[in-house]
Amino acid sequence: MQQARRTASRGANLGDFVFASLTRIAGVFVLVLLGAIIVTLFIGGLPAFEKFGVGFLTSTDWDPVQEVYGAAVPVFGTVVTAVLALIVSVPLAFGIAFYLTELAPQWLRRPVGTAIELLAAVPSIIYGMWGFFVIVPIMAQYIQPAVIDSVGELPLIGPLFGGPAFGTGILTAALILAVMIIPFIAATMRDVFLTVPPVFKESAYGLGCTTWEVMRSIVIPYTRTSVVGGIMLGLGRALGETMAVTFVIGNTNRIATTLFGPGNTIASLVALEFPESQSGSLKLSALLALGFILFVISFIVLAISRVLLRPRLKV
Amino acid sequence: MATMTSSSDARRSSVATSMAGIKTHVATGLNPARISIRNLDFFYGDNRALKAIDLDLPERQVTGMIGPSGCGKSTLLRVLNRMYDLYPNQRATGKVTMDGENIIDPDLDLNSLRSRIGMVFQKPTPFPMSIYDNIAFGIKLHEKLSKSEMDERVEWSLTRSALWGEVKDRLSTSAQGLSGGQQQRLCIARTIAVRPEVILLDEPTSALDPISTLKVEELIDELKSDFTIAIVTHNMQQAARCADQVAFFYLGEMVEVASAAQLFTSPKQKRTQEYITGRFG
Amino acid sequence: MSATLSSHSTLPGAIKNLNVAKALGRRRSRASTVVKALCVLATLIGLALLASILLTLIVRGFGGIGLGVFTEVTKPPGSNGGLLNAIVGSLIQTVIGVAIGTPVGLLVGTYLAEYARGSTLGNAVRFVSDVLLSAPSILIGLFIYQLVVAPFGGFSGIAGCIALAVIVIPIVVRTTEDMLSLIPVAMREAAMALGAPKWKMIVQVCYRAAKDGIVTGVLLAVARVAGETAPLLFTSLGNLNWSLSLTKPMASLPVTIYQYAGSAFDDWVQLAWVGALLITFGVLAINILARVVLRGGK
Repeated sequence: MQQARRTASRGANLGDFVFASLTRIAGVFVLVLLGAIIVTLFIGGLPAFEKFGVGFLTSTDWDPVQEVYGAAVPVFGTVVTAVLALIVSVPLAFGIAFYLTELAPQWLRRPVGTAIELLAAVPSIIYGMWGFFVIVPIMAQYIQPAVIDSVGELPLIGPLFGGPAFGTGILTAALILAVMIIPFIAATMRDVFLTVPPVFKESAYGLGCTTWEVMRSIVIPYTRTSVVGGIMLGLGRALGETMAVTFVIGNTNRIATTLFGPGNTIASLVALEFPESQSGSLKLSALLALGFILFVISFIVLAISRVLLRPRLKV
Repeated sequence: MATMTSSSDARRSSVATSMAGIKTHVATGLNPARISIRNLDFFYGDNRALKAIDLDLPERQVTGMIGPSGCGKSTLLRVLNRMYDLYPNQRATGKVTMDGENIIDPDLDLNSLRSRIGMVFQKPTPFPMSIYDNIAFGIKLHEKLSKSEMDERVEWSLTRSALWGEVKDRLSTSAQGLSGGQQQRLCIARTIAVRPEVILLDEPTSALDPISTLKVEELIDELKSDFTIAIVTHNMQQAARCADQVAFFYLGEMVEVASAAQLFTSPKQKRTQEYITGRFG
Repeated sequence: MSATLSSHSTLPGAIKNLNVAKALGRRRSRASTVVKALCVLATLIGLALLASILLTLIVRGFGGIGLGVFTEVTKPPGSNGGLLNAIVGSLIQTVIGVAIGTPVGLLVGTYLAEYARGSTLGNAVRFVSDVLLSAPSILIGLFIYQLVVAPFGGFSGIAGCIALAVIVIPIVVRTTEDMLSLIPVAMREAAMALGAPKWKMIVQVCYRAAKDGIVTGVLLAVARVAGETAPLLFTSLGNLNWSLSLTKPMASLPVTIYQYAGSAFDDWVQLAWVGALLITFGVLAINILARVVLRGGK
């Protein structure tokens, strides 16, 4: 009996050791995975970095014939589309989050919230098709001509809205991206708004505040950091989006001078050019180098987002 | 009960004229009612949390509400400034009259109601802004004041809540840096800055240390010269110290209401007696 | 206003300029109403976008659904092809990808919830996993291309599976850790008090208690990777012929949709819409199922 117990206990200790080690190894594996992604992309991009040096970041060339490659155009396109997408999506996402936390009748909150979250579940390629077949024609036939004729005539901002109305381009890509990141930002905002202790809202209502004043003066100041974190999360998503952008951005390696002009992003350029690049070629290396740059940008944005969200929310 | 009405006698006459028609309780030493509650029921969903409550809150005096946890005393407070409106499935029926208006009328303008009936909560709730802005916040909702008028008002309310001396040199610092007791007095200052007629206090000292508690109690005694006050408390000594009239609640019913002296020395109801002598609760 | 002010020093009680308060109150409630209306509008826009996407898919895709879609493989334009190889390829890669990624994610989530509370390594792992959760999936594709495809002689189904597995891991980590953290301490202590070793406590008590949450995580992972296109472009590539071999290029629904939607042939575009309809409604159904499972557990 004693003997049996001791054996069982030794078995338990061994079991504990094995299981704890397994989980720890898995944990370390995740760190290694991230390291491997960075290192792999960097090594793959090394020939391009060595050939073009710092000029790779500033050059606007992408010429497979001459074998001259630069990252400036896609980096520009990536940043501009993502930032424009934020400008469009943040107010909408805020409105949705405000509605879901303070305004909607109780029975509507879950179904509407779920519907908004389902927007995030629609695959990226579907947004691409929807954008290309539904939004692009609307942009080309109605919105762009109307804007070109009205806003386009204005001084200063007018030139931003010039050019032929193809329907595709930077702005269209940004709009599709905006739709795609709305659910992420809205869901995060809703969750952080819900963390404000009710007693603070009550004491503001107790002073006679309206719903909007409670939101503006209590809820937003309380959750400011986390709200920014949620917006950064949306930005991180927008930066790396591939398929949807590829369908609607126009795919031209030129820095667009108007919002209706075509352009590209790192992700769309990689998706399009990759099939036409030989293994081991300089072009492939340039694509991997672009991937490395995209990874660094997204990593920084997502890291900031995590740091800002962590105290209030376990996302 | 000797201290009870001393400060308000002079003003009583002007009040009394406006109070014509509302019955007075001269015999009990209580002022005419500022708010009268008649046959009030309150429901959380199907759960009836208040049962046919009748109670008057006398003008410029303190009404203490005592009773074991879950007896409905805090619920009653939340009816008086319609805080329950924030939540679905909560409703009240009956009459709560102030100046001839029924407070629980769904069509009532809540913002102006809440500017007239202020509330201080159990836990201090300093807003995430400076001390000055915490006070100014409520005032700006209802009044347009110049900078100097605002300064004057902020100083007045902080003085009135016995906090001015401690914070006058750091008005622009965050209110969240104050101690718990200071925060609670700040919340009281914020409430009186709006100049309500009635102040509701929901266990205002339960999160405070004894010294801060004493300060808040002194403050309540001070404030009743200007405001009609209702205070929910777990602490019977506190009720005895602060209140002119005390109401005892049990299981959603108001068992007994009387002057503090009477309720604590010779309660009429057996349940009241058992509670105040510590047999349950 | 001056009358109001002069009363301060003596008795400011309830003397108020009611007209000012009323005018302010009107303006304030008007502002609140405007903002509320805008918020309702924003929500309606959000819902309209979802409705527009779903309607577009139904209108353009539903008419093209026929038996041939499920029985024929992809064929050249004009020869009545289907999507069989793409559907089967997607199923294979999704199932294998999730099968590889789930155990790893489960172990990492367990490590974070049970062994690494507050430790530096644990925080680092949690942080990295969170970043990977939102990292651009196209980069996962490039990574697996460099790691598996280039060194081992070409595009293959298994490379696609591995790429999807990398995407699955952080999703399962997140839900596993969250669900394990929700288990009350009392339940753990009760198991330990019976003399159960920690690993048995975790495997037999905690996993069982967190089962619904973990299943939810796996379902969400399935829904996420089933629709992924970018990482498969560089790994399993796509294959217009029938092939079940994991060492050869393998078709998948998203990649086929990508190839077909951009083509100039009407019947291919039609098939792309059918595929889009299938994948979207499949993914949304799994998503809703995941929510139902989670709610059933609470």
